[in-house]
Amino acid sequence: MNEDSTPSNSLGRRRRRDWTPYLLILPTVLYLLLFFAWPMFRGLGLAIWNPEALLALRAEATQDSAIAGKLPQGAEVEILERQGNLIPPEEQEEAANLLTEIWFKIKSQDAEGREVIGWVPDRRIRVREKDEEERPLAGTVRPKLGAKADPLTSVYAEPNERSEVVGRLESRVRVDIVEQAVLEVWFLVRGQNKAGETVQGWAQSRYIQVFGDEESGRVDRGNAGQLTAEYIQKMTQDRFFKPALYATLILTLLIIPVQLVLAIVMALVVQARLKGNTIFLYIFAIPLAISDLAAGIIWYAIFTQHGFLNSILQGLGFIDAPITYLSVDTRYWIFIAIWLAEVWRATSLVMIIVVSGLQAISEEVLEAAEVFGASLWERVRYIILPLLRPSLQVALILRTIFALQLFAVVVALSGGDVVTTLANETFRQYSLLRNPHVAASYASFILLLSVGIAFLYLRTIRTQQELEQS
Amino acid sequence: MAEIRLERVTKKFGDFVAVNNVSLTVKDQEFVVLLGPSGCGKTTLLRAIAGLGMADEGRVLIGGRDVTYLPPRERNIAMVFQSYAIFPHMKVYDNIAFGLKMHKFDRETIEKRVLEAASMLHIEDMLDRYPGQMSGGQRQRVAVARAIAMKSQVLLMDEPLSNLDALLRLEMRAELKRLLADIGATTIYVTHDQIEALSMGDRIAVMKDGEIQQFDDPTIIYDRPANRFVGGFIGNPPMNFIEGQVEQTDGRLSVRIGGFRIAPDPAMQARLRPYHGRSVLVGIRAENMEALNHPADDALRVRVLVIEPLGAQNLLTVKIGDDIIKVSTHPSFIVAPNEDIWLRFPVDKIRWFDSDTEIAIRPEM
Repeated sequence: MNEDSTPSNSLGRRRRRDWTPYLLILPTVLYLLLFFAWPMFRGLGLAIWNPEALLALRAEATQDSAIAGKLPQGAEVEILERQGNLIPPEEQEEAANLLTEIWFKIKSQDAEGREVIGWVPDRRIRVREKDEEERPLAGTVRPKLGAKADPLTSVYAEPNERSEVVGRLESRVRVDIVEQAVLEVWFLVRGQNKAGETVQGWAQSRYIQVFGDEESGRVDRGNAGQLTAEYIQKMTQDRFFKPALYATLILTLLIIPVQLVLAIVMALVVQARLKGNTIFLYIFAIPLAISDLAAGIIWYAIFTQHGFLNSILQGLGFIDAPITYLSVDTRYWIFIAIWLAEVWRATSLVMIIVVSGLQAISEEVLEAAEVFGASLWERVRYIILPLLRPSLQVALILRTIFALQLFAVVVALSGGDVVTTLANETFRQYSLLRNPHVAASYASFILLLSVGIAFLYLRTIRTQQELEQS
Repeated sequence: MAEIRLERVTKKFGDFVAVNNVSLTVKDQEFVVLLGPSGCGKTTLLRAIAGLGMADEGRVLIGGRDVTYLPPRERNIAMVFQSYAIFPHMKVYDNIAFGLKMHKFDRETIEKRVLEAASMLHIEDMLDRYPGQMSGGQRQRVAVARAIAMKSQVLLMDEPLSNLDALLRLEMRAELKRLLADIGATTIYVTHDQIEALSMGDRIAVMKDGEIQQFDDPTIIYDRPANRFVGGFIGNPPMNFIEGQVEQTDGRLSVRIGGFRIAPDPAMQARLRPYHGRSVLVGIRAENMEALNHPADDALRVRVLVIEPLGAQNLLTVKIGDDIIKVSTHPSFIVAPNEDIWLRFPVDKIRWFDSDTEIAIRPEM
């Protein structure tokens, strides 16, 4: 049989899948998911997702009964009825607004001498004995006040007033407390949903804020999430939103072109291989090692009322009294100071990128341009700049993203009030106003701006080859 | 007129003298090859002419104009670089047009010249391409087209073929030679490839250690090397050198190699007389010896070490005394390793060298 030999043959030839690259990349993928994707989605989710937007009402006062309807957060409700219910162990941790009842399982004898075992709410029992751990051991049935009241206390089969009554006890009878249970109060509420329909159903007390009259309240928070534009609206309607946006954009527009030109000039100086060009490089690169807050403080020290600038101007006799630069009335000076600090601090980053780009340009190409008659300016214009395009693209994207995140320098120079930026508003919403959702909206807005601008750069500053190929 | 004259040009890099006191005159429309091993200063010399590295001493004159300290763009030159140095971000058309644009030619002239240069190099179909989409050979053509589109009177080429593969180099060599003859620019061509130099140049300047060793026609360079270096550098295989003793018997000088005596021709007799009692170097090319597989009176017996059949010839490695030499024979010459053969030395093909200075001893003209 000829066929016998073929399977083993083909088995030997079959290409086995090589899993090594996948295994090698696995830690990286996990790392990226864990440290980038997950926190980012969680963070951005805050801006558009209200996890407590809707309260699901139940047909019965239990978690597993059908949903009778949903009420939005903040809806006014009538409270029709209340009832205690065992708290499922997994929900015991949350406690805000929680109304609880304690029920005791008791053992006693009724008037006829029959033994009664069952559940009684704790308000009907006066606890007389406790063990070392403060657990109630025994007590007496409280007398009922008022003439019309039923003098007997009902004992239920389950810790629930709706369950069967297993016995009735007289006042002041001694009871042994066998067990106790903590119950959460459920309310039967009625309210209107967003569509205007009246919805009625049971909800746990933790979700309902009860007003003083005990008969009405409002939905404090829901138990189901919903997408919402509420936080974004809050952001756009914030009175600092527009000033922050404009300040950020203006500063970006002021900083980046100047930085780019300066950086290219600096890079050309470094690249010119003059004597001592490494010293230039070091001097240019020093600000890289200074944090943005420190840079802000340095320039604050220069511009403040008794700062270096005023001292110098006074010393030289140009002015008699110190000029107040950084004040509400001279907002433009704050802008200038921020601009100077940012240009001073971050230009070297662009320069480093440009220098590395310059080094990638072949020496012979530049010499060819020289031989074929290009002056220095023409070489920069026709050879260096076009060949630097990829580096400039990177530098522009990086710098724009950083400029949109302008924060510490602004805080240092304006205190974060007089001139504010989007990043500063993010911080303020989060830490001062304690509104993480609006803060997340600001952060998402910055992200969106950055992505949009980066995309714009990639589209518009494409190299000719890329254009040709598309 | 674009005669290039170098007068005592010296170029140093720190303490290293790359070009040492070189004087050279390239006639108008002449094709001169600067040939030498790497590090001999040939590229440095070319760059000094181009203005890409100014000479430290001496003068560079192009067409009678002193350009020693002028920047490249004022020298009216075009250049082809070793790495081609074409602009990667420009289409072929713009690459070729670059020099013309920089020199502010009008549009029509530029277009005409670009098309002309492109068609000379058969790249007229690729004007819309980017260099990244081209092969090495095509890029090379762009680099040459860019240079000749300038129609400058001086064309400098820095190892233009060295980055091509062997077959393409062979093809380009012939094409370049024809092309350069057509455009009639004064050309200085740098190479380390002696075949390129011999096949292309009107004259060859052989350089070593920053100095010109010999500047002459290719045939003379090959046939009558000025010193041992030139003889050993040019030719494949290089010239053989054998140590010989100058002796005198019966008033006639002879040079003894082992037990064998060579009688120099009469013109050399007088020149060799001062070397009486000393040794000289006998230089002879592999193809100039006659190999016999039988003894003869006027032939020297040698032992064959290696035989390399090369198709058109068989190359034998043989041992004479302490010297190993190469002999090329007709492929029909049959011999086995470790056999003896007999070599005949035609006296008119022998070149003589001073064994101390290694400079050629030439008959008086």
